[in-house]
Amino acid sequence: MLKNSVTRAALAVAIGAIPGALSRYYITEYTKSVFGKDFAYYGTFFINVTGCLIIAYLLTLAAERIRNFSPELRLMLTTGFCGAYTTFSTFGLETRTLLDKGDSTTLIYWLGSIIVGMLGVNLGVMLARLNQKSSLE
Amino acid sequence: MDSPLVFTLMIAIGAVPGALSRYFVTEWTKSAFGTKFPYGTFVINLTGCLLMGFFFTLSKGITGYPKELDLLIRTGFLGSYTTFSTYGYDALSLWRNKNTGATLFYWAGSAVFGVIAVYLGVSIAHVFVR
Repeated sequence: MLKNSVTRAALAVAIGAIPGALSRYYITEYTKSVFGKDFAYYGTFFINVTGCLIIAYLLTLAAERIRNFSPELRLMLTTGFCGAYTTFSTFGLETRTLLDKGDSTTLIYWLGSIIVGMLGVNLGVMLARLNQKSSLE
Repeated sequence: MDSPLVFTLMIAIGAVPGALSRYFVTEWTKSAFGTKFPYGTFVINLTGCLLMGFFFTLSKGITGYPKELDLLIRTGFLGSYTTFSTYGYDALSLWRNKNTGATLFYWAGSAVFGVIAVYLGVSIAHVFVR
């Protein structure tokens, strides 16, 4: 069964998704316990930005530096873990909740997430490219 | 009542089909429409936002809505189905391909239409709950 590449890919995604989703849940719960339940979006912001950094770091390593990075390992870490760890639906819902409350942080959260997310992606690529010469030996 | 073990299990049970749906929808859109634009992630994030607004409203509007079900559907399934990391990386890839218009549409459009989709989901849910 595991010789089938679709089965292997699906298994890799599933194995990565579980710790991804649970990390998101526990970080959000921790954020609520520290800042209060109305500030769960601090956690989502942190999760989405760090997830952007990690996925860009891993995909750049896989594409440019590590020659034998297996497709299954890549799927487990990126599509599985990072994909499930970060969330777009909660980001949308939290923006809507802030907007409905007339909270002035709505725009900061909404625009901040997508701008800082892009900075995270770029930083991830940069980190993966550090000392590139030495590691290609 | 509130068992952390049950909560953890519910999230894990929701996360697996969520991530797999995302993977297979993405693979299918790549084969059907090509890889020039991340149609898969775009559609996934918007439909996920709509469902998030819908199930959020149901969970608040139905008395005795089980927390376990809410964690399974919203935190587990929808949280894993949608993704912010791939969205960010997709935007960078479009930018690298010198596709400025598509980059801007995808980057800002996902965020604008995502929030609109949440509102749409909330409205649809109000058909069923007050």
